[in-house]
Amino acid sequence: MIRSCVLILALLAPLPALAHNVISAVFPSGSDIEGEVGFSNGDMAPDLLIEVFDQAGGKLGETSTDADGFFLFTPSEPVTHIFRGDLGAGHVAEVIMDAAEVAQIMGQSPTAATPAGAGTAAIPAAPAADLSGHARAELATMIRNELRPLRQELTAFKNKSDFQSVLGGIGYIFGLFGLGFYIAARRKIGSGA
Amino acid sequence: MHIVDGALSNPVVIGGAVAAVGGIAMGLRSLPLERIPAAGVLSASFFVASLIHVPIGPSSVHLILNGLAGLILGWAAFPALFVGLLLQAVFFGFGGLTVLGVNAVNIALPAVLAGLMFRPLVARGSPLQGAIWGGIGGGAAIALTTLAVAVSLMLSGDEFILAAKLVFFSHIPVMVIEALLSGAAIFLARRVKPELFADTKGSLA
Repeated sequence: MIRSCVLILALLAPLPALAHNVISAVFPSGSDIEGEVGFSNGDMAPDLLIEVFDQAGGKLGETSTDADGFFLFTPSEPVTHIFRGDLGAGHVAEVIMDAAEVAQIMGQSPTAATPAGAGTAAIPAAPAADLSGHARAELATMIRNELRPLRQELTAFKNKSDFQSVLGGIGYIFGLFGLGFYIAARRKIGSGA
Repeated sequence: MHIVDGALSNPVVIGGAVAAVGGIAMGLRSLPLERIPAAGVLSASFFVASLIHVPIGPSSVHLILNGLAGLILGWAAFPALFVGLLLQAVFFGFGGLTVLGVNAVNIALPAVLAGLMFRPLVARGSPLQGAIWGGIGGGAAIALTTLAVAVSLMLSGDEFILAAKLVFFSHIPVMVIEALLSGAAIFLARRVKPELFADTKGSLA
């Protein structure tokens, strides 16, 4: 009885598959940085505190993931951003976004806003000149939402361990132990002779 | 079970690496020539075991099989498990290369301890008795591993009780499964290859 209670407790405890790799990614999302944190089996990390540091270790701010493991962070300085989330039990997610990429996000947001408002014919705005700023923002969000599952699937795929690497690993092990066997045998024969 | 890069403080990582080197040296010294193939096979099974995901409730766990290696190899389980861990880190990104030492100690030391404690019991009596002790040893190795992981996290600043509870309870299913598997493996080995448990102390490779 006690044992089954403990077992149930262990299963019900919010322990999202601790025996998996942590996956995390960040990407530009308009004027924000969007990121996701989860496990390689597809479980995402909801309500997780994400701390943001610069390269020197100084804290830039913090944010937290939503129910789907996504988080948003608005950069205020064009420096390298390091996102860190502690999932507990030795699982730490850390993703880095380069200073150049952050600067691009920050530089892009004002330019994206001005041509729409002032109607100046900036070169990137030319093909979409008949779109209002609002429609463009809407479109960007839509595309992001459409791409999200793809991105997730791609990350999961990258973290999948395929059959070839399993076989390769086993081959390495046998090779290594074969080498050890060879060395040991040579030493034995050498000492016997 | 595998601690990832960046989760631990530098002293813990360095300490783990030093301890791992010591353990590997100790293990290589107690690995006689005729045990090398067995060590290779156990290393390979450890390497593959972590890919076997057992679905439990809403989540899933993966096997570790360090106890079995310890029961059969004793100290020699250290280098065997280290090789498995190294290749897991390289091929699958489990853990990481900087924390390899800590992971090796966390996984191999409990295996060695389980081996030292239960190996004489496993080798004695009927195969069934040996299998029961083997099962207990296999489960105990996982329990000790969870404690070792919790200690590593605590030394890096985590709250020990919390970390220990989290890791320990989430691995209770693994303990049960590993105990059954180790027991079955020992039973089979005792039946078909009893010389695997013959004492080979002293013979240097």
